[in-house]
Amino acid sequence: MKKNLVRILSLLIFVASFSACEKEIKIDIPPSKQELVVEASINQLSINFNYVILSTTLDYFNPSLSLAAVRNAEVYITEGDIIGNDTLFDIANRVQFIDYVDTIFPGIYLSADFRGVAEKPYKLEVFLQDGRSITGTTFIPKPKTIDSLNFWFEPNSKDTNVFFYMNWLDGPEQDNYRLTLKKGFFPILSGWGNGTRFYTFDDSQINNQTRPFFNFSPYKYNDTLHIYLATVGRKEFLFWDSFRSAAGNGGPFATPVAVKSNVTGAIGSFTGYGLSQRSVIFRKE
Amino acid sequence: MFLKLPNLIVSLASILLVNVSFGQNIIISGYVKDSTNGETLIGATVKNKESTIGTTSNSYGYFSLSVPANTSQIICSYVGFQAKVINIKGAKLNGLQIGLIPENREVKELVISSDRLDKNVRSTEMSRIEISGEKLKSLPVVFGEPDVLKAITLMPGIKSGGEASTGFYVRGGGPDQNLILMDEAVVYNPSHLFGFLSVFNSDAVKGIEVIKGGMPANYGGRLSSILNVSMREGNNQNFKYSGGIGLISSRLTAEGPIVKGKSSFLISGRRTYIDVLARPFIPENLAGNSYYFYDLNFKLNYILGEKDRLFVSGYFGRDILDFKSPTNRAVNFNLGWGNSTATVRWNHVFSPKLFSNTSIMFNRYELFNDFKFGAGGFSVRSGLVDWSLKTDFTWFAREKHMVKYGFNYTFHTFTPGILSGSVGATSINEEINKQYAHEYALYALHEWNVTHRLSLNYGLRAVAFQLVGPYTQQEFDNDTGLPNGNTKVYGTGKTIAFYPRLEPRFNANYLINEVSSIKASYTQTYQFLHLATTSGAQFPLDLWVPSSRLIKPQMARQYAIGYFRNLKENQYETSAEIYYKPMRNQIEFKPGANLFFNQNLENEMVFGEGLSYGLELFLRKKEGKFNGWIGYTWSRTTRQFDELNNGKPYFYRYDRTHDFSLLLSYQINKKWASNFVFVYGTGNATTLPDSRYAYRFGIDPQTGEPLFVFVDRYSDVNSYRLPAYHRADVSFTYLAKQTKKFESSWNFSIYNIYNRANPYFIYFLPDIQTQTVKAYMVYLFPILPSVQWNFKF
Repeated sequence: MKKNLVRILSLLIFVASFSACEKEIKIDIPPSKQELVVEASINQLSINFNYVILSTTLDYFNPSLSLAAVRNAEVYITEGDIIGNDTLFDIANRVQFIDYVDTIFPGIYLSADFRGVAEKPYKLEVFLQDGRSITGTTFIPKPKTIDSLNFWFEPNSKDTNVFFYMNWLDGPEQDNYRLTLKKGFFPILSGWGNGTRFYTFDDSQINNQTRPFFNFSPYKYNDTLHIYLATVGRKEFLFWDSFRSAAGNGGPFATPVAVKSNVTGAIGSFTGYGLSQRSVIFRKE
Repeated sequence: MFLKLPNLIVSLASILLVNVSFGQNIIISGYVKDSTNGETLIGATVKNKESTIGTTSNSYGYFSLSVPANTSQIICSYVGFQAKVINIKGAKLNGLQIGLIPENREVKELVISSDRLDKNVRSTEMSRIEISGEKLKSLPVVFGEPDVLKAITLMPGIKSGGEASTGFYVRGGGPDQNLILMDEAVVYNPSHLFGFLSVFNSDAVKGIEVIKGGMPANYGGRLSSILNVSMREGNNQNFKYSGGIGLISSRLTAEGPIVKGKSSFLISGRRTYIDVLARPFIPENLAGNSYYFYDLNFKLNYILGEKDRLFVSGYFGRDILDFKSPTNRAVNFNLGWGNSTATVRWNHVFSPKLFSNTSIMFNRYELFNDFKFGAGGFSVRSGLVDWSLKTDFTWFAREKHMVKYGFNYTFHTFTPGILSGSVGATSINEEINKQYAHEYALYALHEWNVTHRLSLNYGLRAVAFQLVGPYTQQEFDNDTGLPNGNTKVYGTGKTIAFYPRLEPRFNANYLINEVSSIKASYTQTYQFLHLATTSGAQFPLDLWVPSSRLIKPQMARQYAIGYFRNLKENQYETSAEIYYKPMRNQIEFKPGANLFFNQNLENEMVFGEGLSYGLELFLRKKEGKFNGWIGYTWSRTTRQFDELNNGKPYFYRYDRTHDFSLLLSYQINKKWASNFVFVYGTGNATTLPDSRYAYRFGIDPQTGEPLFVFVDRYSDVNSYRLPAYHRADVSFTYLAKQTKKFESSWNFSIYNIYNRANPYFIYFLPDIQTQTVKAYMVYLFPILPSVQWNFKF
């Protein structure tokens, strides 16, 4: 009994001491310089998935948790051609993106006419009413197809866990990927932020062979999963990789992370996605 | 410049030869030791009866004293021991074995006041701190675990990295700029428990010495400081066992003679047992998860003869973290890291005037990480191995001259990362290129008592670093971070980069009167190894990287001047030091740099300059029933990198304008002793975001709500100050039993007695209700009592 008491006391003291405490504090941060932010996304697969979002930075303690939208901008995306070492953009191919849903979601610019094509370059041009502008280019790489997908069930004490394994052929060229998983019935990804899990990786460790993907966090029996596998260019990968670090920054040893933008005149990215999609329902046939 | 070294050595020698005149003096030499256990005593005073000529024993307990031929007696004394008078008329003068008997506490004060050589005022040494192993054990510490690295941060000029860090910062230098030696072997990662505790087991520690400036020429390799931890040799008279049982770990030490009076051994182990204690309380789905560390010290000590001694010592420590996923039992994560060191040292007395030590050292730091899951697994290995040979000679040339010279050679092997594994049918094998380097050092220094008032210690250290093949240097495109296809292959032994450098050192002491002096020093140091870390703390995953074609050696110059004065017949030591320390080729990483498994690590680095200056005040009462110290530092430390903070200088993370520490020790009676610690430091400089933006936009199709994350944006580096750090601790030691055969004591300590919430880190959370972002400060240790039982038999 005495032994147990000593054990319990020791454990309690140890656990208590490692249970860090916290309190709310007031911090004075001087006003910052406002900057433009752009999130532009195009792909060859889905028309619903092409958009340009314009906003600005906010002072850190600004009493707003909404998108600081930029309205009334002229937004154009132009498809180009690669001829030899040159990339040419014909103004005849310029498509305007318009903030159709300004009253509900200001700052989101869409186009009903735009169709992305794989292995084509694109140019983004944004002109604001105050004279500022944003420009950038991207390229929609050839998409990769998921070759196989297997899942299995592992019962636990409460219910059944589901794990899946999928692969695709990476190929000899240098490839960069964004992978997004979305759980739920609705199959359309209404913006990349609609995903539930996000991954960014390149092929520095696994190149020119079957590229595997294995999920460590389980799904449940009967879950529906939509998998969006996208190939992206190197500059776009560097942006999203730095974004992953920046968005996940925090904790005792966090260091400031700056995203590696691939546009000029703003923070952000213009990304062309070579997109493929696959859906699966985790249940026995 | 490199070729000038021989000329300088010749000059040094000629200075000596001019001053040497033989005939009137005799040489007395030997070792000073504790008569009860045979442990040698470092820094014991040996002088003639008139106290006009004296010396101190070196780090092996050896001394050599030149006295007039008519000298009849010498006196040997050491703090905490009875002074001993030795008649030398007709006695053997060389190879003396002076055994001192420990004082009891009642008479200790008398010894100090009457018989101590005033080292603080008279020696050329400045910016140097020594703490005994016994003192370390008595200090109040978190969880009651005595800790070398926590103790030294109570000294002025040495700042702690925080409660959860054993990293320390000396006069504006980074944690990798401290050379940490355990019996001369380099310890690359000195922490257990992710930085909460150091690797040094207090039972095996004889004493520590910190040199934070005025580094003599026999030391080098790091810019800022040397932490020299000496391990105990073991009792060569009787078998003894000692240990301690604390809240999170226990220690056990066994020592004794192999041949009585001639050789001894010491073996000391320590292990945490929180994993064992917690096992019964862990839920079934978390069973198999554990974290623990252990370490083992051993030392063998042979007196081979009057002129030869051999020491073999070693350390082996590991931290092990096992994790099994509660949701997927097939997922198993295992992370381990640790140091291994081995040192063989041979002391040889060529003549009473010439003492030498030759050491062969091995040390390895390794990290291993295994990750297994249903469809495969990975294994990652990284580390660093050193083999070193070092010889030091001390020539007690004559009464006023001492010369030290020697060389040091180290062969480094860096293994940045080996990744192997498989996922399904796909196999993964990748290795970041290993790197090999030779590091050389050759030094000579001359300690010269020019007059009764003026003494000098000057010298030169010539160092060189040679990065060699086999190595394949890949070139990378700066924009994409990808190899551009160009490679350069270096064959075995072929030089990739070579950096020869000279490090002049100078220390001077001018005695104003018998109780006060002015000291000045100049130190130039280079550092060829750099720690790749983006955080303020030192982590097991951090990598040591060598200087290369792109990474130039770090360099520092340090100028210091100080006033030293003793009061009340040397009972009190006081000092005031001012230092100025510019640093070049400092290394930082780009914001968001990827340090893990990166073949192109050099491209993530930026290079700049640093500057530190400050004033350190110190008052110490070393012995007596009531003793302790007060230290205060005012300092400023900045860094300047073209690529960071728009090129403007910014405060170093551990810049601390004010730093105050107080330690009071009081022997209440024969049974009870107490310690009180108070520390105060200006808050760390930190970088906070000044703005934010919404990104990765989406719309929830079911609710129509927008989905995005906020990303923080930073501008000025380290422009915000965390709240000040301060706390008070108290400890009581109760001597429960003391007989000739058995001794036991209890140590009760209360950490942070007034429950100060000291900042660990700040984080931010959006608050939906108020539509604002709120800041929260996390603090680690509230008021924390602990108890430890120590025994010896």
